Amino acid sequence: MTIGAITKVALMMATSLCFLWLSAPAQAQSQAQAQTRQQLLQEIESGQFREAVLLGQQAVSRWPRDAQFRHYLGLAYFESDDLKQAQEQLTRARELNPEDSATHYDLALVLLSERDYAGATGELEAAIKLDPSNALAHMLLGRAYLNSNRSLQGIEEFKTTLKLDPAIKLGHYHLGFAYFSLGRNDEAISEYKEELRRSGESAIAVDALGHALLAGGKYEAAVTYLRRGTELDAPNPDVWYDLGKALALAGRSAQAEPALRKAADLNPKDPGPHYQLARVLEKLGKTNEAQKERERFAELKKAQPATAGMATGRDQ
Amino acid sequence: MRNLQVTVAAAILLIAVAIGSWIMPGAAQTAAPKSTVAKTPATNPPLFVDVTRAAGIDFHLNCGSKEKLYIVETQCGGAAAFDYDNDGWMDILLIDGSSIEDYKAGKCHPPRLYHNNHDGTFTDVSAKSGLNFCGWGYGVAIGDYDNDGWEDVYITGFHGSALYHNNHDGTFTDVTAKAGVANAGEWGTSAAFGDYDNDGYLDLVVADYVDVDMNNLPPFGVGPFCQYRGIPVNCGPRGLKGARDRLYHNNGDGTFTDVTEKLNIDPDRYYGLGVLWLDYDKDGCLDLYVANDSSPSLLYHNNCKGGFTEVGAEAGVAYSSDGHEQAGMGIDSADYDRDGWPDIVKTNFSDDTKNLYHNDHNGEFTDLAGPAGIAAIGYPYLGFGVKFFDFDNDGWPDIFMANGHVDAQVEGQSFGVGYAERPFLFHNLKNGKFEEIGEKSGPALAKKYIGRAALTADFWNRGRQDILFTNMDGSPVLLRNEVPSPGHWVRIKTIGSKSNRDGFGAKVEITAEGSTRYAEVRAGSSFESSNDPRVHFGLGAATRVDAIVIRWPSGQIDKLGPEAADQELVVREGSGVIERKH
Repeated sequence: MTIGAITKVALMMATSLCFLWLSAPAQAQSQAQAQTRQQLLQEIESGQFREAVLLGQQAVSRWPRDAQFRHYLGLAYFESDDLKQAQEQLTRARELNPEDSATHYDLALVLLSERDYAGATGELEAAIKLDPSNALAHMLLGRAYLNSNRSLQGIEEFKTTLKLDPAIKLGHYHLGFAYFSLGRNDEAISEYKEELRRSGESAIAVDALGHALLAGGKYEAAVTYLRRGTELDAPNPDVWYDLGKALALAGRSAQAEPALRKAADLNPKDPGPHYQLARVLEKLGKTNEAQKERERFAELKKAQPATAGMATGRDQ
Repeated sequence: MRNLQVTVAAAILLIAVAIGSWIMPGAAQTAAPKSTVAKTPATNPPLFVDVTRAAGIDFHLNCGSKEKLYIVETQCGGAAAFDYDNDGWMDILLIDGSSIEDYKAGKCHPPRLYHNNHDGTFTDVSAKSGLNFCGWGYGVAIGDYDNDGWEDVYITGFHGSALYHNNHDGTFTDVTAKAGVANAGEWGTSAAFGDYDNDGYLDLVVADYVDVDMNNLPPFGVGPFCQYRGIPVNCGPRGLKGARDRLYHNNGDGTFTDVTEKLNIDPDRYYGLGVLWLDYDKDGCLDLYVANDSSPSLLYHNNCKGGFTEVGAEAGVAYSSDGHEQAGMGIDSADYDRDGWPDIVKTNFSDDTKNLYHNDHNGEFTDLAGPAGIAAIGYPYLGFGVKFFDFDNDGWPDIFMANGHVDAQVEGQSFGVGYAERPFLFHNLKNGKFEEIGEKSGPALAKKYIGRAALTADFWNRGRQDILFTNMDGSPVLLRNEVPSPGHWVRIKTIGSKSNRDGFGAKVEITAEGSTRYAEVRAGSSFESSNDPRVHFGLGAATRVDAIVIRWPSGQIDKLGPEAADQELVVREGSGVIERKH
């Protein structure tokens, strides 16, 4: 045996001992990491977001390069309505692990909540690239497209959503909404009805169906849904306005008046109900009241801020 | 009131909060959902055929850059159908625009006058016509302002319009300065002749658009008023100063007096684009409707005492049915439901419904575009020229609508909105509803154009109404009516004696097979257009007209008939039918 060999063996033994010495704490550390991860997940799932934020902060401080802790902490912030912190943590998580579809998806949720539709679009596209089977991601991407004025792409995403999960809640509603935004009323009505058939009654789908029927001139059918809408969603001035307008156009001015007054009460800055009221009151022979409503309409119009772009039914 | 974007945002939040989860749902593959709307294949013979080239129309409309970097480049293309030489056939006048460079350099793009050869072709007679308008032309109005029996021409332009007197020999003389209708410093768009005070002479209204300086145009895409759906586009009209519409009273001696201020016309300087004379309350005095861009449209009720009261909001035609300003472009009027009262159709911007204002017979209108089937399909389209006409002679006014966006930059985006767009042909279903059949009406109507002016005329005197519309940066489109087996018809050409010579504003009622149809005599309507002024009635299966009643602006009432179908009746006020053309 040469010295070199002894030395080599000794060195090998020393290395092994050193590894054993080091691996014991590493295992413990790994165990602690896993336990923390489990606890954090439980807190989020049970809705203990404040606790989750505190635990997540500790975890991130201890394991700063752990993408999952960042991800979970971001979610806890998101559920606590701290969108800025949520975005920061999820962005960091994405940088640490860009191949995680879930991180992209959750970051997109935050960006959508901040109305950063372009940012959300990028994250959702990345999430779908990594996991094309995520129906919810397709649905949210559809909405992001729609809000970025990419209506045709939005429709394609909603169709994909429904292919992946025909029973997904609000899937048909969103497809209907996209059709409606392009003036494809009959298709919108069909999708809204399908939403109600598949997912049961929801205020958002009932209101939308009533609105589309009204826009299509199907006044009596619109009244039926919009009445139900006012029961399901009583604080919503839009549904009262639509009900009043549908009643007025159906020739039921006396019934339209209270609905429009309710809309005006619920949204006192909106000139629209006063415009409708003036027309309804004129038909009811209440000329003086009609004139007052016209004046109120004009006052509210003047008070509105100047709008950029062309005058259309849609914000630019 | 509902706002699309807000609703979308709320819906996203709803999903995010209610459904949001980082746990991925499992995939579930199913068949694609079935389409809910059946597509009808275009297998029918064409109803209209593009004969532009065959007819010898070789006009190319200049309107600035293809990119439409400035608002002045977005609205060109006036057109008129009129019989300038009194040969009984409709000729064509096309107004050219310009470019910023040419305009500044004083380079002319005069209008083109095409004489109808009576054989399906036209001859360009511009050079000898004297219609030498030099500037940036937009619209045109036709009327016999001096009652000499020959149609005169008014051309609107950027910072200056012009009146041309018909010399009775195929030529015209510029009489703008003498007449006092230069509309100096204003950007005129649509204009129309109408006798609002029933003095027997045609007055003139000019819609003025925006007050901009050609040497200091607002830079493309800069600022909030130069964006459309988040992309940079040409600026305006919002954010720019409006121009005041002008009303010129005809003094009866070849001159006009500007009565704009006196009669309180357009005091708020809204962005005027479309004008229409009509008697919506049938009191015998012409009212005036002006379609304004991105501001309330205005309805001036004529008090029959030489003045007007603006009643747009009260009448329900100032705003959308929700009280929103709309971007009004073209307007026309007809009694589409045959209840004996004139209704109104109006085109607007994309992302908005077009209006079909039904006359409620009490001074008010109700927008029935939704139930009529016009609202939804038109939503993504930007409409300009619009015209009621009975293309199949079934006795019920149909609608033609020329579409085309103002922002070239929308092309290629995923907005669901195009720059070039196909026109609409709405067929009247006789029950208050219309069916849009453009795509089924042949390749000419299925194609996409950047439509602007649109007019109807019987160019071949066949008892069929043809279509002409202009196309930005391209050739106009002359569509020959080839409807198989159209109904019978009768056409009435009015000649005023005490009333204005054209008989504009006269009301014509005919009765056939027990039902009565109503129309008003006019040439100016649509967008920057002047139409065949002869009143055309489809008669369906009826082979005769039992009675004709004409109420002239002077108050004279002529009762005529019975008359055979399928002929043009030339009627002189107080004298009855003076000529029958078969």
